[in-house]
Amino acid sequence: MKINIPKAWCLRMAQLEGDAEIGAGALAVDPVFEGETAHAEAPEETSLAFSRFVRLARRGRGLTVELLAERADVELAELLTIEEDSRYKPDLRTVYQLANYFGVQRANLLQIAGLTAPKDNHLVIESVRFAARSESVAALTAEERAALDAFVSVLSEQK
Amino acid sequence: MTVTVSPVFLFNVATGKEEPADLLDAITEKQLADWEAEWTPELFKAMQRLHRAGVERAQWPQSRHWDWRRKAAAFQGMLGTPGFSIMCGGVTQGMMLADTVTKRCRIGSQTGKNLVYVSFVENAPWNRKELFDPPRYRGIGSILMRAAIELSKEHDFKGRIGLHSLPQANGFYANTCGMTDLGPDANYQNLRYFEMTPEQAEAFLEKGGKA
Repeated sequence: MKINIPKAWCLRMAQLEGDAEIGAGALAVDPVFEGETAHAEAPEETSLAFSRFVRLARRGRGLTVELLAERADVELAELLTIEEDSRYKPDLRTVYQLANYFGVQRANLLQIAGLTAPKDNHLVIESVRFAARSESVAALTAEERAALDAFVSVLSEQK
Repeated sequence: MTVTVSPVFLFNVATGKEEPADLLDAITEKQLADWEAEWTPELFKAMQRLHRAGVERAQWPQSRHWDWRRKAAAFQGMLGTPGFSIMCGGVTQGMMLADTVTKRCRIGSQTGKNLVYVSFVENAPWNRKELFDPPRYRGIGSILMRAAIELSKEHDFKGRIGLHSLPQANGFYANTCGMTDLGPDANYQNLRYFEMTPEQAEAFLEKGGKA
């Protein structure tokens, strides 16, 4: 359906509209931010895998937490909390940014971060395996590297 | 699905100049992808910032049940319904969904007549002053309302439209659009219901200069 709207009309109405809010319909309602995003409870093992994944993926790239925060454009304090507290439920945007930066499927990372309900049992099993294999937090060993690489390939799987 | 693109213009607040944009007569996968990848993270970032600044937001009726997965699923289910979206700078700036079938006029003089019911209108987070000050673009709401009026005319509904406004947008629909406020709707989370008669539709079109 072609609609002919003159430029002058658009600009005059933009002026009249100003900075007015325009939201209508229940679907347009904003979420309430209470320090956490709305989320489903994730099994502890997948949350642990998320925390470990971020730490190892960062170290695998030889980055400090500060550098990763800068490059992935996420808040430094939140990144520290993610790595230190596996029970922490990260912000949705932070998980988006980390998925983009690490080049893994966003949906998979959202699931192991506990922001979507677990629906892929394979991913849960692999998360448990990864959490178990990646316990060390010292220098990245060949085993950790192998564990990380294997988990990255699982996270990168297209659905 | 065939998508028709109509050229429109938005006002870029930063440059103080107009910017060409596209009005699409559809909400497509691209708009949903933008909502998920561009809008939602920015919305959360802005709300996190407000939260940290101690800004209290109005507690809207069902907002505590907000669930982005449910919203995404709702969008997916509406891909086939009439809708409009505005693209500028390669990104979706605003979206609207319409229902041309199930709703009827409530306003006295028009009772029972067909209308276009606007079931959903939303601006990109960066175009909302309460979230991003200054916002990026102005004029999105007016263009979407005009699209709803044109859709109504196309269906021979003579410009009649109706919608449930969010509390913070009541002023826009009452004043800028000149719609009639029929008060809170107990059957729709107490959001105020607004309706536009054919005469009000003409007055709105003339507000921006003769179309």
